[in-house]
Amino acid sequence: MIDGGFRKNTVNVLCGGPGAGKSTFAIQYILHNLNRNHTGLLISFEMSEKQIIQDCLSLGFFEIEEHIENGSLTILHFFGEDLVFPPLDFIQDIREVIKGGEDVLISIDPFTYLTLFMDETERKFLSMIFQELREIGTTVVTLEENKNGSPVTLLPLYLADSVICLEDIGMGELYNRTLKIVKTRGARHGEGLYPYSIENGVGIVVEATMGQKSRIMAKRDFDDVFDEEIGKIARSEDPLAPKVSRKLEVLKDNWVRDSDPRDLIDLVIRTELGSR
Amino acid sequence: MIELLERIIDDLYSIEGIDACILYRIDGTPILLRTPGFSEDILVVLAWLKKQICGVLKEMNKEGLSRAIFHFKDHKVLIAPSSKSTVLAAILSPGAHQMLTSIEIERITSEINRCVS
Repeated sequence: MIDGGFRKNTVNVLCGGPGAGKSTFAIQYILHNLNRNHTGLLISFEMSEKQIIQDCLSLGFFEIEEHIENGSLTILHFFGEDLVFPPLDFIQDIREVIKGGEDVLISIDPFTYLTLFMDETERKFLSMIFQELREIGTTVVTLEENKNGSPVTLLPLYLADSVICLEDIGMGELYNRTLKIVKTRGARHGEGLYPYSIENGVGIVVEATMGQKSRIMAKRDFDDVFDEEIGKIARSEDPLAPKVSRKLEVLKDNWVRDSDPRDLIDLVIRTELGSR
Repeated sequence: MIELLERIIDDLYSIEGIDACILYRIDGTPILLRTPGFSEDILVVLAWLKKQICGVLKEMNKEGLSRAIFHFKDHKVLIAPSSKSTVLAAILSPGAHQMLTSIEIERITSEINRCVS
């Protein structure tokens, strides 16, 4: 549902109420990638290493013990109440643990503690923390919401590279637990409301139809239409022509609709070049 | 399961006189939507639904109503709860066959109920 998944060196926020599955999602993401030879770091402001391992074992994520043993996974437990603002020491701790490793996957669960006492000045440090985390690797942070869906904290979501909301309305039925992708910077994403369940041994299982998936996949059916128009523009002597060609190339590579793009191409050319 | 739900909604949308249909979750979040291409009239109704659906559902629940119909200049909107957590809204054209659409919506809501419950 996110074209290409979480991008490298980004900070991705998972919001949701208690019991929605944020921690499961975060651990599942880290373990999935550890199984593919990445290194990871789980930072918990809530549970000790022992508790995390116990939870993982009861969910059927047995590989966690193996990853801790072979050193590909480190778990850090902080007491949120001990944090002093600006909490940059904690970034230092991360750097010490990863020992210069690159492309590390980090989960911070819950991130809520770091945002509890923020005023405008403190928020600036949050931006710095996000920037540091981007340099270290790819991070998933979880953020708690109230039952009414409003965030407990004041984390400005524009700081995040992607935001995914998990919701549990407590009514049972297919759409009781749903996932919605609010934003992803620099990538296409599904815009639907996707039901999910939490299954032992697997974790979060999101349901989407082929139709929903195909809505974020680039369609190649109209490549010849784009190529024809790009060819015509290339022959034009307008100084803006190369830029417009580039725009159309990008549009071609990202055309996800089943409909013919001619009207839009026409609009782009008329807007940018002023004529056909 | 969603595939089946999509087929059920497609089935309703294919009926003559039904210009659009939307399956909402009980909190007003749209789950599935079938609408024609650009139509200003339909957009006006959709915008109205977006604003009013939660309030309408609250009122229907309070009064124990199983159906609510709203008449617009050119369209009718029929709102029918389809399960504990979903509600169906159908936008009907002026020429829609009243009896046929009513029976079909009854059938579709019970199919949705079976599918999501």
